[in-house]
Amino acid sequence: MHPIIGNRWRLAGYLLLWVTFGALLAGVLAVSGQAPLRWAGLFAVPLAVLMGLQCLPCWYLVRGMASAQIPVWRLFGTWIAASFVLLCIWVAIASGWLRVLKALDPAPNVDSAMLMPLLVFAGCVGILLAILGLYTAAAFERSRDAERRALELRALAREAEMSFLRRQLDPHFLFNSLNSVAALIGTDAAAARRMCLLLADFFRNSLKFSAQQVIALRDELALIETFLAIEQVRFGERLRRRLDVSEDALPMGIPALLLQPLVENAVHHGIAHLVAGGEICVSARLRGALLDIAVENSCDPDRPPSRGTGVGLGNVRGRVASMYGTRASIDTESSPEKFRVLLALPATPVEVSRAHPDR
Amino acid sequence: MRILIVDDEPLARSYLREQLAASDDLEIAGEAGNGFDAVKMAEELPCDLMLLDVQMPKLSGFEVMELLGARAPAVIFVTAHDEFAVHAFQIHAVDYLLKPVEPSRLQQALRRARERLGAPAAERAALSAEVAVAARPPGQWLQRIAIREGALVHVVATHTVDYIEAQDDYLVIAAGPRRYRKQLTLAQLEKQLDPARFVRIHRSFMLNVERIARIEPYAKDSWQVFLSDGSHLPMSRNGYQRLRAVLD
Repeated sequence: MHPIIGNRWRLAGYLLLWVTFGALLAGVLAVSGQAPLRWAGLFAVPLAVLMGLQCLPCWYLVRGMASAQIPVWRLFGTWIAASFVLLCIWVAIASGWLRVLKALDPAPNVDSAMLMPLLVFAGCVGILLAILGLYTAAAFERSRDAERRALELRALAREAEMSFLRRQLDPHFLFNSLNSVAALIGTDAAAARRMCLLLADFFRNSLKFSAQQVIALRDELALIETFLAIEQVRFGERLRRRLDVSEDALPMGIPALLLQPLVENAVHHGIAHLVAGGEICVSARLRGALLDIAVENSCDPDRPPSRGTGVGLGNVRGRVASMYGTRASIDTESSPEKFRVLLALPATPVEVSRAHPDR
Repeated sequence: MRILIVDDEPLARSYLREQLAASDDLEIAGEAGNGFDAVKMAEELPCDLMLLDVQMPKLSGFEVMELLGARAPAVIFVTAHDEFAVHAFQIHAVDYLLKPVEPSRLQQALRRARERLGAPAAERAALSAEVAVAARPPGQWLQRIAIREGALVHVVATHTVDYIEAQDDYLVIAAGPRRYRKQLTLAQLEKQLDPARFVRIHRSFMLNVERIARIEPYAKDSWQVFLSDGSHLPMSRNGYQRLRAVLD
């Protein structure tokens, strides 16, 4: 898009500049005594506007040569050639215009031979100014582009964060929880209120943590407790939960929302398929420089053999690999009645790991 | 109208119970917390309508309907998932409600059920086993087969099945030492099973390819397949070609 032609006001301003240029030229002609002011104005202003119109297409040269890796000699060569062509056309039209004006309004002391060198000089100055102006406009446009791109990038990052969250949170979890709330309102209003607060707590913390790279195990476990408390309301006695975490593991940093999808899987692929329910156990302890975490759940012995390698686990694997490379490991153990995910992450207290999130 | 409530979540059941209490002409025949109880109660209790959850442990709502077949009462599905609706209506469900259940939607569904039950019996389309099997939720091969044996319901995981044999008008499903009978044709079941695992090796036999120990020629254009437990099944020429297509 041409920055001047594309906008009516800019085009008017641009042409006004050229009118000024023409007036200056007329002034020079009058002061140097080559022509009376009125005649000089009539002569110079239309020529200056013509020059302005002629220089407009130069924008495409500015843009075309800015985008590629153009050697300096070619840049100058192109501009000199273009300017020469522009100048020739302009001077030719100017001399024609001079002849027309002389015929219409014969001014006594206008000398064509004296006028020509001045016209050529004025044309050179005009073209030079036009080129410099167009380069300035191009620089402005580039900086505005860069700003817009930066904004777009920020929006993209935000979107990625949200879609991450969507992946993390199963909508049916929300629908089922709301159904429980609807049920409790009729029978146990206090429990309904508790459930609302748990849900609010869970979603607020999920949002907060999803914006962070690393959080303390303590915080992730608190989120999991909230999640399991909500599911407990739905599943009742069928869901039994146990947390077995050593005190020294709590301040260690882990990728935010890493364990939550594993616990969600444990409920949906484990407990939900058992008529009599089962137990979910999350354990964590330090082993030398490593933080060992295990998420274990009861499951249906008749489940299809492939279950447990679902999308949730794939995401967790990907995140662990991209964050720690070979310094961390993730394994699964499957027996007829148990499914277990074992994580071994580098043990780093959360403040330190925040400073060096990736390596 | 006598209603059976089936949901594995106690709160979901109590919510429905509370909503139903508002109407005078409704009576709660019973509540079931899983599919097994649902099948049993639907047969033993006189009931006209079942409010049925889809996702339950071991037996889904659809499997409950399949097992009940023509004896199934009118059904309204109640679930948090919207993706099963098409299949619910394929098996003549009266309505399909999404959780959290809106009271006015529930009343509307109950009105429809009353209309349906008021219609002459001939106009009520009975649910056949074939329709119920075909209406299984999409996107997956059958992971388990629900089988009735008198009052008992067995759920057999398909990966534990060795082979399936067609008898007169039923199937014998062999899984380890157990043999189960199911009223279905081999062609109907074949469509539901993962073709990479189960191959029709004979007009009346379908085989789990993971159980094959060896294959021996038997006569011209016929073979015998020996399974890892030592038993053997006949294989026709077409069956041989189908098996090779899967194994190659």
